[in-house]
Amino acid sequence: MYLLKKIKMNKSKLLISAAMSVVFLSNSAFAADYPSRPISMIIPYGPGGATDISARTISEPLSKEVGKPLVMVNKAGAGGAIGSVAVQNAKADGYTMLFARVGTHTVNPAIKATLPYKLEDFRFVGIYEINPVACAVKADSDINSMEDLVARAKAKPGSVSYSSSGVGSLLQLAAAMVLKEFGLENPVKQATHLPMKGGGGAATAVLTGTATFVCTNSSALASFVKNKQLKPLLVTTAEPVAGFDAPTSKDLGKPNLEQLVGWTGVAGPDDLPDDIAASWGKWLGTATSNKEFKEKMEARGSVIRLMSPEESKEFINKQYNQFKALVDELGMRVEG
Amino acid sequence: MTLLENLAAGFELVANFESVFALAGGVLIGVIAGAIPGLSATMAVALTLPFTFAMQPITGILLLLGVYKGGIFGGSIPAILIKTPGTPASSATILDGHPMVKNGQAGKALGMALWASCTADLISNLALILCAGWLAAFALKFGPPEFFTLILFSLTIIAGVSGDSLLKGIVSALFGLILATIGLDLVYGTNRFTLNDPNLMGGLNFIAVLIGLFAIPEILAMVWNPKSNEGETQSLGKEWVTFAEYKRCFKSIVRGSFIGVFLGSIPGIGAAPSAFLSYSEARRKSPNKENFGKGEIEGVAASESGNNGVAGATLIPLLALGIPGDVITAVIIGAFMVHNLQPGPMMFLNSPDIIYGLFMGLIISSVFLFLIGSVAIRAFRYVADIPRGILFPAVMVLCVYGCYAVNNNIFDVGVMFAMGWLGYVMLCKGIPAAPFLIAFILGPLLEDNFRQSMLMSGGSGEILVRGPITWFFWTLTIITIVAIIRSGLGKKKAEAVEHGNQE
Amino acid sequence: MLNNSYFSTGLASLILSLFLLFVAIPYGVTAPSNVTNIVLSPVFWPEVLSVLLGITGIALMISGRSAVKDSVAELLPTKGCYKRIAFLAVLMAAYVAAIPVLGLVWTSMISFVALAVLIKTSHPRTALISAVVIPLVLYMFFAHVAGMAIPQGEFLRLP
Repeated sequence: MYLLKKIKMNKSKLLISAAMSVVFLSNSAFAADYPSRPISMIIPYGPGGATDISARTISEPLSKEVGKPLVMVNKAGAGGAIGSVAVQNAKADGYTMLFARVGTHTVNPAIKATLPYKLEDFRFVGIYEINPVACAVKADSDINSMEDLVARAKAKPGSVSYSSSGVGSLLQLAAAMVLKEFGLENPVKQATHLPMKGGGGAATAVLTGTATFVCTNSSALASFVKNKQLKPLLVTTAEPVAGFDAPTSKDLGKPNLEQLVGWTGVAGPDDLPDDIAASWGKWLGTATSNKEFKEKMEARGSVIRLMSPEESKEFINKQYNQFKALVDELGMRVEG
Repeated sequence: MTLLENLAAGFELVANFESVFALAGGVLIGVIAGAIPGLSATMAVALTLPFTFAMQPITGILLLLGVYKGGIFGGSIPAILIKTPGTPASSATILDGHPMVKNGQAGKALGMALWASCTADLISNLALILCAGWLAAFALKFGPPEFFTLILFSLTIIAGVSGDSLLKGIVSALFGLILATIGLDLVYGTNRFTLNDPNLMGGLNFIAVLIGLFAIPEILAMVWNPKSNEGETQSLGKEWVTFAEYKRCFKSIVRGSFIGVFLGSIPGIGAAPSAFLSYSEARRKSPNKENFGKGEIEGVAASESGNNGVAGATLIPLLALGIPGDVITAVIIGAFMVHNLQPGPMMFLNSPDIIYGLFMGLIISSVFLFLIGSVAIRAFRYVADIPRGILFPAVMVLCVYGCYAVNNNIFDVGVMFAMGWLGYVMLCKGIPAAPFLIAFILGPLLEDNFRQSMLMSGGSGEILVRGPITWFFWTLTIITIVAIIRSGLGKKKAEAVEHGNQE
Repeated sequence: MLNNSYFSTGLASLILSLFLLFVAIPYGVTAPSNVTNIVLSPVFWPEVLSVLLGITGIALMISGRSAVKDSVAELLPTKGCYKRIAFLAVLMAAYVAAIPVLGLVWTSMISFVALAVLIKTSHPRTALISAVVIPLVLYMFFAHVAGMAIPQGEFLRLP
């Protein structure tokens, strides 16, 4: 109904503007009047996914700040590569921006040698949310701690498996990293990686007993934990996560794991002008302080944390280097 | 509380203006969005989601469910009228729906699609209310080996949609299976036939392949011979579907609904395979077997009941376990979570009023689907009257827009045209397109589940016969294959005799 | 007898299968060196399918030799049909190529007219009106109701 109302509202506006101004686009638009037209925001995943919902939620307060409509463009496929490449190749005029995510911009570059883009091809204008990562097993499993899990993997190599949403996903890297941190020398050989299609399938695989455990964004596991279908083993943040009765990385004395978090940010092509990047930093600042936005995001289990462009860059590079080192050490890199 | 008391409490929650309005509006949005190729039911639900944040939980969720159901039905309208399915779920409807339009029975085909959809919808909702717990427990028993056997069995439907030559059907299916391997490998993440093009890394877009294979060859054939069919306008067909026809198809509709309920309650299969399975079962059992694919009304009834039967049933794993069965229900879970509701077993204890309110709303939605659907098809069936010289260019433009909109990618439009040429060559050589499509949908599922099983077992094939569910599907598969071979041999003999007589 | 659709389909399948097995799979599919089990290798599934395609192809060729009748209705060439089909191929390629430059709306209008001419529409005036109206209406729907980004092109931008 809302849509219909919108048509009616827009119709008169449209007719007038269509009649009066079939606007000629000048390529030499000054950055001072940026933005002078709607901005395409590329979401590198499909509609309805975690990135999509996060992006559409922030677009509401954000478009008020920007002053022009933000057009959400889902370009899914190849683990986010298709959407990312579209922005990599776009003109750096600030009219094509990307919702970058931990999967597309730190895990994928660390794992895949054949990725058609690099981390340096993008200029980050800010990160606005952090998603804590949690690991969980089936509720009736006799595994009660990470130690139990690692002990089992050591005792009988191949008996422990972890599900993920595919090769190069945060879920794959997270499980390997956690196992390694808890003393399993070669998680790739001693435990089995079960790639599923999509994040929903990964959690379900643990529920049906197909996989032993899964490490993913706490929000993806929250309802299963609340319903006592899954049992959380740890959360990677230093602070406890609401609803997860599990030790934090601080409790367990594993500060390295604090780097293992998901995030969503906004990026443009690497030659994005400074003033445009600065505007985005400002807009994101105001948008993330919006109370309604905060409430909606927190209800879904994400932590709103705004980072400035510089901070974002530093954070992402640090995470990337840590992931890259781990991938090289474990021989997880995909070469072909 | 008894079931009845619960339902009464739920009814109170739903019996207000907002909820009813949300349902009706949702169904309307869904039917319109579904009828536009490229705007799938998934996308319509995702686009509606943000508007539900501000609503009461039950109102918002009912709105989304309305869109979902409307979208699945709406997809059948262009599938029947212009051979371009609005959503993947309605691709089976093309097989008999479009030939019916060519026979001047557009109104009849659309009417049957609606009746079958509504009946299946109702059965699916009842199944959800009455046996959610039982079906959910069953769905949890499905791991990769069970999936593998189920999909292997589903592939035998190819025999049912192969037309005259089973061998050609198999070739068509193999083309589909091979094209489906394009993209990144599931287990190792390496490239397969991608030529290092990022667009190909994501694999060929399903909708692009679908539209290309069915709609574009029609345009090519028209260009090849513009004067063909000039005389016969695709007459409107004021004929409405009759109750006698509905009664005749009733068995197929009920069968399709149950296939839909069964496949819908298992996460990760979706509505398209269900529609094809229902279609091929109906064909196998029907006395009018020969007429299938040439405009048999029972074929439309079977496919539409198969895909709408899924709609209510996908809510079974959602409500009972908190597992989304497909992308649409994953979006709907998002709506629950925004309102601080966690779908799953605890929800039946913590907020039964919401659950039963949803149940009541679902029942009402079937009624709305019928009312709004009737209006919609009366408006849409005039499409069949558009002169072909205008209809075909319009279809091409519509296909391009729709194909682009699916993933905002121009590359997909190129894929669609390329598939159109393949489809045309197949048409010329008498190779049926339906097996290609089924294989293209099921192929990746078959391979993925096979390899996941192998990963689980460390490479031992024993896991594929690990339990009663796998045995059941192996048996079904073997019985079906034997039956196909026997009927094939029988046909050959009959043909040989006929041939002998002619000489 | 060798000209029927069974034989030609079979032959084409066989050639495709050999092409896949000896060219496309070895060069197009990367199999990592650390694959432990042959059934898990990325090449396993395409290879199985190619072999099956070859076998089906041979079976079709055999059945083509003995086929009693070829049920495919021949598409008889009509006057100028090859020219028109070739023109359509060019039109389709141009359609895809022009979208980023001209924008989806303008390209669609031109293609609509071109196809209408190609199939010798009997309602030229209606076709022309539809060619303008349909792309515009679709644009308004997708861009303003569904909120999608329809390619705008380099020259003329629609509101």
